[in-house]
Amino acid sequence: MSVIRSQDAQTEGIPVTSCWNCRAAVTGAHFCAACGKVQPLPAGASYFAFFGLPQKLTIEPASLEGQFHMLSWKLHPDNFVRASEFERNLSLERSSQLNDAYRTLREPVARVEYLLEHLGVRKEGTTKQQAPPELLEEVFELNESLDELREARAAGGDVAALQGRLEAAQQNFQEDLDDVDAELAGLGREWDAAVDFGGDESTKKALLARMNEVLNRRAYIRNLVAGVQKELGG
Amino acid sequence: MGRVVGIDLGTTFSLIAYLDAQTGAPKCILGPYGSTLCPSVVSVDADGKVIVGEPARAKLLTQPERTIYSVKRLMGRGVADVQDELKIFPFRIDPGSDNVIRVRLGDKSFTAPEISAYILRELKSWAEAYFQEPVDRAVITVPAYFNDAQRQATKDAGRLAGLEVLRLVNEPTAAALAYGLHKQKRGHVAVYDFGGGTFDISLLKLISTNEGDIYQVLATNGDTHLGGDDIDNALLDLARREIREKFGVEFDHRGEAIQTLRKSLIRAKHELSSAEKTIVQYPLESKGMYIREITRAEFDELIRPIIARTMAPVKMALADAKLAPKEMDEVVLVGGSTRIPLVRKTVGDYFQRAPHCELDPDEVVALGAAVQADILETGVKTMLLLDVTPLSLGIETMGGVIAKIIPRNSTIPASAQELFTTGVENQTAIDVHVLQGERELAKDCRSLARFQLKTPPGPAGLARIEVKFLIDANGILQVAARDLRSSEQHTVEVQPSYGLSDTEIERMLEESIEFAEQDFAERQVIEARTEAETILAATDKALADPRSQEISIAERQAIAESEVQLRTALAGRDYKLMRTRIDEINAATAHLAEVLMNGALQTAFEGKRLDDV
Repeated sequence: MSVIRSQDAQTEGIPVTSCWNCRAAVTGAHFCAACGKVQPLPAGASYFAFFGLPQKLTIEPASLEGQFHMLSWKLHPDNFVRASEFERNLSLERSSQLNDAYRTLREPVARVEYLLEHLGVRKEGTTKQQAPPELLEEVFELNESLDELREARAAGGDVAALQGRLEAAQQNFQEDLDDVDAELAGLGREWDAAVDFGGDESTKKALLARMNEVLNRRAYIRNLVAGVQKELGG
Repeated sequence: MGRVVGIDLGTTFSLIAYLDAQTGAPKCILGPYGSTLCPSVVSVDADGKVIVGEPARAKLLTQPERTIYSVKRLMGRGVADVQDELKIFPFRIDPGSDNVIRVRLGDKSFTAPEISAYILRELKSWAEAYFQEPVDRAVITVPAYFNDAQRQATKDAGRLAGLEVLRLVNEPTAAALAYGLHKQKRGHVAVYDFGGGTFDISLLKLISTNEGDIYQVLATNGDTHLGGDDIDNALLDLARREIREKFGVEFDHRGEAIQTLRKSLIRAKHELSSAEKTIVQYPLESKGMYIREITRAEFDELIRPIIARTMAPVKMALADAKLAPKEMDEVVLVGGSTRIPLVRKTVGDYFQRAPHCELDPDEVVALGAAVQADILETGVKTMLLLDVTPLSLGIETMGGVIAKIIPRNSTIPASAQELFTTGVENQTAIDVHVLQGERELAKDCRSLARFQLKTPPGPAGLARIEVKFLIDANGILQVAARDLRSSEQHTVEVQPSYGLSDTEIERMLEESIEFAEQDFAERQVIEARTEAETILAATDKALADPRSQEISIAERQAIAESEVQLRTALAGRDYKLMRTRIDEINAATAHLAEVLMNGALQTAFEGKRLDDV
């Protein structure tokens, strides 16, 4: 059986453990190099390490997909139906981690969110609820239009004009969203350069903080767009 | 270990299939009535005997109060869920039911998994008769859009039927597997699966890799309460209304009469798949005859809204997969309802390509299940299925809002970790409520389970318990918790919101073993009776033979006495007594048989000699 290196042991400092089956040394790999048995997940290893990737934000989708298929082939529980319960559980643990990691890393935004969470910069699922200052005016107008639309609906009034205004606003916010995504991609490239060329810690920290801020802005705008969509659809 | 099989446990019909080792192709097994389709109907006779399949279907007309069809609609559901269905389906729900529905059949009540287990056991017996060896493991298919409780109920049914359920496979995915094997095609495939009671749409990507073929489901959607049944009900509504208006006859929706009417309407539906018009005739006893011509056009208009309901899930699945209709390379039709011309036309128009229906839409799911069963039996060699969870998994947070932790259409197995802590000082338990669904509020989603995390009293926020939610390859949730401070595994007792607890299943299994004993006794009685009848007839014939005069009067009396004894035993149900009496009559007639045998030999011998002369 070919051995797949899963963890970038150097970057993530994954401890050397011994194989549960043959006691050979294992450093986070999916399978033991000596006996080929599936190994438990090391604590704290990242999704990046799972795919043997450095913690960088530019990932080639086709090669990630290829890796995903190759690892699915080896780790999927279908391969372990007749194995011991212990091995079945290891397969379940590893293959669910594989799917979780692929789901996260294939989406550029989810990838950034995950990196920030993994590095402790961002708390999972938290977004600031205040409007970003540069958007305040637009948000005010939008909320006003939304209120008017609801009132007009309740009173049975003319909603066509209001709907038009909302659609225009939605279009604007959609464009804002595209700008935000471009900004995030730019920061991602800066991050990757810092990783590649050994950028100092303070540069990296600043980049992470900026990415976090952009993510918050993005979440806020997305909520607005979703809110308008719901109102227009309903 | 016995054989492995693939089973399609359907709303209307169920099938069982296996992979033929010689040809490498999956095959459905024929039942005793010459069809691969076993009607998913169960009937319980007055003496407690359970009848399944074709003979049970006949009982729908003669003892509807003891017979159930479409039980799949009740799997994994609570009483509150099925109120709408009760208006249409003749289910007799036990008034004591709450989150596990119990259906009354005669004077006994059964849960949906128990009734499904009877269907599975029937199919298992078909396969055992075919292989002449035991069958103990199976892959069972479920609608892709089944939730956790519905899947768990299906797994429970398998266990109750004495089958180890190796895997639950989504029906459209199984169909794609059978189809892909058949066509050797690659690319994006849409499987439109419109069955008796459920509708599913699955979008797959078929990929060739160095290792083999991967069938990756990209998105799935559906409606677990939309199917051919709804078309039957629409026809039934029409006929009932017209009969009420013209003849003033009102049907009891659970009576025999409506079952007869339903049957003739289903026949009309089938005819309209090929004919342009059909005539329904239904005698109303003294009131005359309801005669109704239905044209294809009228039928299409009647069912158009039902078929339109399938398109919303199709659009959602495409949106989730980020694909346009025309990007699908192939469209496959599965399920009996896809025989309806309007369904084919609607699907073909939407995807702008002629849908495939080369494989029998009734059999294709079972065939795919057999392929997957073989993969699990012999190991992943040439094919791998990557399926998804159809519904988002979430936990209830403050204010009854859901926090989604595993999004729908995530490849399974999938997992999520959540950290829980205490909110107030000296809090000793944290309540966790797990749900499935796409809505924002807990009350609008499907409750899966509740459990409590126990923690020693202490300041608020000190406890740190990590809970791992894992959806396994069957689409069923597993929960494990770990106390991060002590790094000890935390025991979680998950109380399923719907469905059976392990204890209940254990009890049912014990009962089913008793049942199995009863079944055994039943068979013994039948066999002993048949044998006794043969012996009695032979004895009478022997006594009528002139050569029987050779035996003594005492012997004759003994034979007559043993005949009376055997006949008395046959009137009862004690097969052991019947066997004793059979042995007795055999002993009593031994000399008689010998005499007749000798006589027969002599005649034969004499005949020979005469010829020789």
